[in-house]
This record gives sequence, structure tokens and C-alpha cells, in this order.
Amino acid sequence: MSLTSILFQTLNGLSFGGLLFLVASGLTFTFGLMNIVNLAHGAFYLVGGYIGLTTVLVTGNFLFGLTAGALAIAVMGLFTERVLLRPVRGQSEPEVLLTVGIVLVLGDLSLAIWGGDPRSIPAPTFLSGSVEIGAITYPKFRLFVIVMAALIGFVLWYIERRTRIGAIVRAGVDDLEMIAALGINIRRIFTGMFIFGGFLAGLAGVIGGAFLGLTPGAEIEILLYALVVIIIGGLGSLPGAAIGAVLVGLIDSFGRALVPELSFFTLFAPMAIVLVLRPRGIMGRRT
Amino acid sequence: MIGSLSLTAKIKIGLLLAALALAAALPYLVSPFVVSIAALALIYGLFSMSIDLLGGYGGLIALGQAGILATAGYGVGYTAVHLGGSHLQQVFIGISAGLVASIIFGAMAMRTTGIYFIMVTLAQGMIVWGLSIRLAPVTGAENGLRGILRPQIVSADWKFYYAVAIIVLICGGLLLIVTKSPFGLFLRGLRDSEMRLRMLGYNSTFQKFYAFVVSGFFASIAGVLLVYHTQFISPANAEFLVSGNGVLMAILGGIGTLIGPVIGAFIIVFAENMLSSYVERWPTVLGITFILVILFARDGFVGTISNYWHGLRRKINHTDRRRGPSRPQIYATETASDNLEEPNPGLDQEGQHSKQGDY
Repeated sequence: MSLTSILFQTLNGLSFGGLLFLVASGLTFTFGLMNIVNLAHGAFYLVGGYIGLTTVLVTGNFLFGLTAGALAIAVMGLFTERVLLRPVRGQSEPEVLLTVGIVLVLGDLSLAIWGGDPRSIPAPTFLSGSVEIGAITYPKFRLFVIVMAALIGFVLWYIERRTRIGAIVRAGVDDLEMIAALGINIRRIFTGMFIFGGFLAGLAGVIGGAFLGLTPGAEIEILLYALVVIIIGGLGSLPGAAIGAVLVGLIDSFGRALVPELSFFTLFAPMAIVLVLRPRGIMGRRT
Repeated sequence: MIGSLSLTAKIKIGLLLAALALAAALPYLVSPFVVSIAALALIYGLFSMSIDLLGGYGGLIALGQAGILATAGYGVGYTAVHLGGSHLQQVFIGISAGLVASIIFGAMAMRTTGIYFIMVTLAQGMIVWGLSIRLAPVTGAENGLRGILRPQIVSADWKFYYAVAIIVLICGGLLLIVTKSPFGLFLRGLRDSEMRLRMLGYNSTFQKFYAFVVSGFFASIAGVLLVYHTQFISPANAEFLVSGNGVLMAILGGIGTLIGPVIGAFIIVFAENMLSSYVERWPTVLGITFILVILFARDGFVGTISNYWHGLRRKINHTDRRRGPSRPQIYATETASDNLEEPNPGLDQEGQHSKQGDY
């Protein structure tokens, strides 16, 4: 591998990792507090992307698409938490299995609405084209994804560490009963968490739609990547999601370049190593 | 001898014998198409039983079991199509491949519990799917492997059905022995409280690994049978939908029982094959079924009937103070937050509070 192609693949890995971080951070947040993994997160991503696509095609404005996708999925998160998950609240496994049902429904309905052909969201004009970085030319949009992920990562970190709401969430992760006893409405926090997770999934979907494109089955594929990210990084940890996302992004991009027929499989080794050495992930806490 | 059995046991044996008689007579009663579907349902029943062994007995929900099923299937397909091996070799390589996959997956998953276990198994299943699509020299990618012939002796559909029925029956018997053995009791302990088992000095990590491999063995057999049934294998067999389906069948039929997954498989497979010509969006139907079953009928078919039956018995026979066998709780939770919310009216009352004393 030449130096330029190493640089190229590194940027590929970082931008893909950025997208993965956007997807995985929503997942990991809901887990930390509610002890469930929303397996429909990938389906949320895909539907958000499709809604963004339709909005962009109608209005011609990428920003509108981004907003519409994120808000629509936030509403979907609200519905999922309030209507579907509330009756089984507190029992992790049924909650997770219920989200499997949502995956099937959303995947099939989006196939019915948007068809089976791969679609791509046109990037806004100021982000299309490419720039020169040293010896290589690199698509602007992918650099935008890296910047966007870093920005959102910072905002999330700030919310988690420096705001009252973040303090409540962190305390809730440690001791939910205590927080409830202190008079904080846990139910509302749970709902808010799902809305926020949905918002992030929808946002990631629109960005991913312009980055990777949208196809039926993408919901499962992105879910796999996100799961590997949080298995490696540690469930419930934001820094863990960041570390996992960058690692998975880089491994995947170099894997695709070096052994294309084994891509996907390259995720297996790091996952196995982490599971053997640290079953709760790099940044995961022992419970 | 028979007189000493309880009424419940007599009814169970009677139903089982009736089911066996029906299964034996099936090819004489219905069209060849239905016989072929029944064979498929039996195969998925075995597959679902393998998930139930982990889920219903051990409380470990595997969402990647299709990965093992497909690995065994590809083992058969590769030996048949690329190596031109005999049927004995095909079966041997198929089951060995499935076992190797289960050993690797089990070693990865054995230290995890609850949600982590679900996530890890899901990722494992998806990785097999990814390989099946991309590793074209072995798997034929999207085209799959075609022309995998059944052994001559069971080439006709009705003969194949009998072969499947006998194999599934034997596997069911073996699984019954496993679940009744001390190891089966251990699995239940795992489901109810892994922490207590550890304190009693059991090596729960190794036992989980062992359970995973046993389950993988039966999933591999189902994989081999499935390939011979369709005479074709493609990435669709490794899809997430297949694993999800297997879990749904177990829950729908009654998780924690061996007959439940088979009943669930019959319901789903027949519904799919009979309705999919009328219902255009089958996965949506399946997804909604999934949600409804988890919300309203988590005891499944067998559980609901057995609850009803024991309720009826208590009413008839007031002196009979024995409680019916408590429904298994696959859903042993780890968090202390379980009891935060008020108990939910849609749940069965039994068992819901039984795990409060865990910590």
C-alpha cells in the first residue's frame, strides 16, 4: 500500500467511523439509562434517510431534509417508547425482542414505499465535489461527515457532563430508584431519551443516505456495524462509542481495500478479542 | 402403570400419540404440496427448539442462530457442488462446519449475559450473512449454491417428509433428555439467577459455552435438513429474518417447552405459505405478530392452554392445592430497576414477582 492510499483509506475509515458514531451514540445512550438496546435503531436510520430523501427531492434543500428526517424519527421514537415499550418496561429481553418486530415492519414498509432500488440523497452544492489534501483529492461531503460527527460528539459530551439533564441521566445510569425517589420523573426521562435517540438515528440516516446511499437491508447492515461499535467500545459509554466507531471505521475501510471478499468478516476479529479480554467492552463498566 | 399417572400426564401422552399418528398418516391425507410444507415446518421447529434450549431453558436469547444453520447448510452445499462429495461426506462436513461455528461463537458469547448476549449473537449471525454474500468462491454470493440433491432413498417429497419427521423426533427426544438432565436443571438455574449458581460453585461460563454448542449442534442438523429440503442455499438462509423467525416461533408456540417451538413453526410456516399469496407484505405481518405476541401472549400457545387447564383443574378440584408448573421466565432481568414501575396489567401474575428475591 502506498502512502497516498493509506491516507485515502484512513480518511475513508474516519468518515465512515464518524457516521457510525452518529448511529451508535443514540443506541448507547438509551442503553446506559434504560438497559435496553433498541434493535430498531437501524430501521430508524433507514426510514429517516428515506424521509430525508423525499424532502430533499421535493424542496431541493439538504438542510430541510436533515431536519425532516431527524424530527420524523424523533416522533417515531416517542411513539415506540410510549405505545409499544411502556407495557413491557423494566424487562430487558421482551423490550429488545419487541424492537425486532419493529425492524421487520419498518424494513418491509419502507421497501413498499420507496422501492427496492438503491437511492442516494443528493448532497448540497456547497458540499459536493472534492478538495485537494496533499497528494489526494477527497470528496467534500465525507470530510463534512467527520466534522459533523466531531461536532455532535462534542455537543453530546457537553450535555452529558455539563448540564442538569446530563447529570440526571448519569445519576440514572448509576441508580434509577434513587433518582426516582428524589422526585425526578423517570418516565419522562425515558421518553425523552427515546426521542433523542430517534433524532440522532434520523439525522444519521439522512447523512448516511448522502454518504452510503439507501437500500433495503441497509437497516440491518448499519445495525450490525453499530452493535460491533458498542460491543467493542462498551455499552452505555459515549467515549466508548467514539473509540469503537473510529476503530471499526478504520478496520472496515482497510479491510475492504485489502481483502474485499472478507469485508464484514474483518469486524469479527476485533470483536472476538474484545469479548475475550473485556466482555463489557473497552470503556464498559463492570456491573 | 398408566393408572398411576395424573390426568394431566395422561392428556399430554394422549395428545402426543394423536400428533404422532397424524404425522404418520399425513402423506395419505393431504396434497404433496402440504406434505412438503409440513416437512419445512418440522425443520424450522427443530431450529426453533435449538433456540428455545438457550432461550426458554437458559434465558439466553440467541438472535444469530441462522448463522449456524446457514454455516451447516453451506457446508453441505459446498461439499456437494464444489467437491462432489458423497451424501455421507456432505452431512458430515455440514454438521462439522456448524459445530465449528458454534464453538467459535459460543466461546465469544459465553462470558456475556442478557442484552450483551443478544447483541453478540446478532452480530455473529450477521457476519455469516456478510460472508455468504461476499465470499463468492465458496458461497456463490447472491446466486447461492444450486443443485444440491437429496440422497436417492429419500428423493421423493413424501419419503423426505418421513425422514425429516423421524430425525426431528429423535432430536426432540435427545433434547428432552438434555432438558431433564442435571444439565437441564442447571440451564434453568442460569435463567433464574446466574449469580446464585456462581455462588454455589458452578462454572456458569463453561456451562453456557456447552449449552451453546449443544444448541448449535441441533441448529446444524436443521441446516442440513433445510438444504436438502429446498436443494438450494443462498444468503437468504442466513438473514436476520431467519433468526428472528426462529425466536418468534419459540415464543409464539410457548417458550421453555419443547413442543412449543414446533407448534409455533407450524403456525408460522403454514401461515407464510398459505397467506403469502394473499397478503402482499408478509414481513410486516410477521413483525406485527412479533409485537403483539410479546405485548399480549408471552406464554405462547402451549403456555396459555396450560395456564387455562391448570386454572380449570383448580376450580373443579378444590382439594388439589398443587400449583400448576410455573411458566418459565425467560426474561430474567439484571437491573435493579425492575420494580420501579407499577406492575403491568398485561402480564401474567404468576412469576412476575418471583425474581424479586434474587439480590
